[in-house]
Amino acid sequence: MDLARLPSDFAQWRTAVYRQWKFYLRTWRFLLLLIFVLIIVVAFTAVSVVQGDSGVSAADYLNGGASSLGIFGIIIGAFIGGDAIAMDFGSGTGYFMLVLPVKRIVLLLGRYAAAFAVTVILIAVFLVVPLMGAIYFWGVSGIPWVALGQTFLLSALYGLAVISTAFFFSALFRSPAVSMIATILILFLGFLIIDGVVGTSLGYEPWFSLLYAGSVIGLPLIGQPHHTEMVSHVGGRMITTHMWYPYIWEGTLILFGYFVVFLALSAIIYQYKESKG
Amino acid sequence: MSFAYEGSGAIGYLGPNGAGKTTTLKLLTGLLRPTAGVARIDGVDIREHPKRAMADVGAVIETPEPYPSQTVAESIQMVSEFRGGSSANIAHDIGELHEMLDLPPLGARTGRLSKGQRQRVVIAACLIRDPRVIILDEPTGGLDPKERILIRNLLNRLKKDHLILMSSHLMQEVTDICDQVIFINQGKILLRDTVENVATRFQSRAVDIEFVDPVPIERLSPLGSMIRTIAPIGDRRFRITFDGSVSARAEILTQCVRIAPVISYSSASLVLEDAYLSLMQGPNGAAPTGGTGD
Repeated sequence: MDLARLPSDFAQWRTAVYRQWKFYLRTWRFLLLLIFVLIIVVAFTAVSVVQGDSGVSAADYLNGGASSLGIFGIIIGAFIGGDAIAMDFGSGTGYFMLVLPVKRIVLLLGRYAAAFAVTVILIAVFLVVPLMGAIYFWGVSGIPWVALGQTFLLSALYGLAVISTAFFFSALFRSPAVSMIATILILFLGFLIIDGVVGTSLGYEPWFSLLYAGSVIGLPLIGQPHHTEMVSHVGGRMITTHMWYPYIWEGTLILFGYFVVFLALSAIIYQYKESKG
Repeated sequence: MSFAYEGSGAIGYLGPNGAGKTTTLKLLTGLLRPTAGVARIDGVDIREHPKRAMADVGAVIETPEPYPSQTVAESIQMVSEFRGGSSANIAHDIGELHEMLDLPPLGARTGRLSKGQRQRVVIAACLIRDPRVIILDEPTGGLDPKERILIRNLLNRLKKDHLILMSSHLMQEVTDICDQVIFINQGKILLRDTVENVATRFQSRAVDIEFVDPVPIERLSPLGSMIRTIAPIGDRRFRITFDGSVSARAEILTQCVRIAPVISYSSASLVLEDAYLSLMQGPNGAAPTGGTGD
């Protein structure tokens, strides 16, 4: 055996990152998502500028972009990571990659890092374009830079949590296409429904929800809201709905939990998954 | 089943569909995990240390596909990088493989290649950095005759200083390339021996003879008791079955030459085909006595 000529795990990880990065660029997935994100944030920012809607402060204005990251972050993460593992078991790619002298964990972490890099760039667009609008209305001196920095860090953590979750679902499926669609549906609709039923209607704090935890992203900008109950009369019946807001420490903890637990589960499944059929 | 090989040469791994050929190769390369037993390459357990075990192994199992968005050169380069190839040598290494395997244009996306072209790219990726052990599962599947000859010649060159384990359904291919064979069925080794020994053991029991001019079948009556059956294939060709012994085979030819000028005389089927059929015709493909794998 000529083990000496094999590169280190770290060198192989760098190769995996680079190749996965090129994969995202080559398949147009990154560019299409970037165009999609740009259209949305540029349109919203342009409308606010045209209408003179500056918000009550720069922080309030910036929160507009940050608060929409919860939903869009999930879509982005699901598209980026939804087939990252399934691609090795639903097509012949696994027979090409998994017989190489590379640890599967190294391949997985390389793909993960590339997916995270792509996701962070897209998330940053959500903050940078509204930042230009905020500077237009409030000037550079009016920007709450520290709070914006905290929001960006929370967004990045949210990106890690979403990608870990997407990788996990990707590991459960064999077909890349099915995996991608299922991941998008589960992450996007699943959490929306859970939040709506458990949190808003039943009145239980949905602390286990990724979407709920993601609502901390804008909190450094606007401060901590509190749980509210709203009672309304519909057709002679009294209906109580609840609005829940995690504390920053609480949301951070939940996001970190998602990041670590689902990444670990993905790695375990990937390590033991067999190439059958 | 249990078998071990070392040194260089080519080993054919044969058996009917569902015999366990691909399963064995997948276990050897870590694509499947054994429920019991162990697969080692250079003494390293593939399950415990996959990176070390596969350090000097190139494998083509089932129908591998590079990333469809990658070019031919990028696919091979990626494998080279994972195996520690330097960027300084990569162009030269890919150039060699390009020439050796008549690869499609290096800038072509692998997702747009034909099956045969893609298979040659996969074999090139398998061979980059010159691994000492080569494991191939039906390596010429999907290739046209010209491509098959290309791969056969390449493997015949490589086996001089590499250890090749290849499964195949094509007996001609195995006969042409391999030095040793393992016949398996239902996860058990039926026979493990050199191709030469198998040829001696499973003498063909049928020969085809072709005369220069048409010969009526009655003229072949002098063959008499040395043959079992005789059947015309055309007006100049006959298939003769006999007991399979070398002496009978020689005597048949001698007699035929006396009857009329002979243009060709050959086994009606390949020796390995005879061996294969003979082995598989046993009860559940049961192993004949002697010569089985350990």
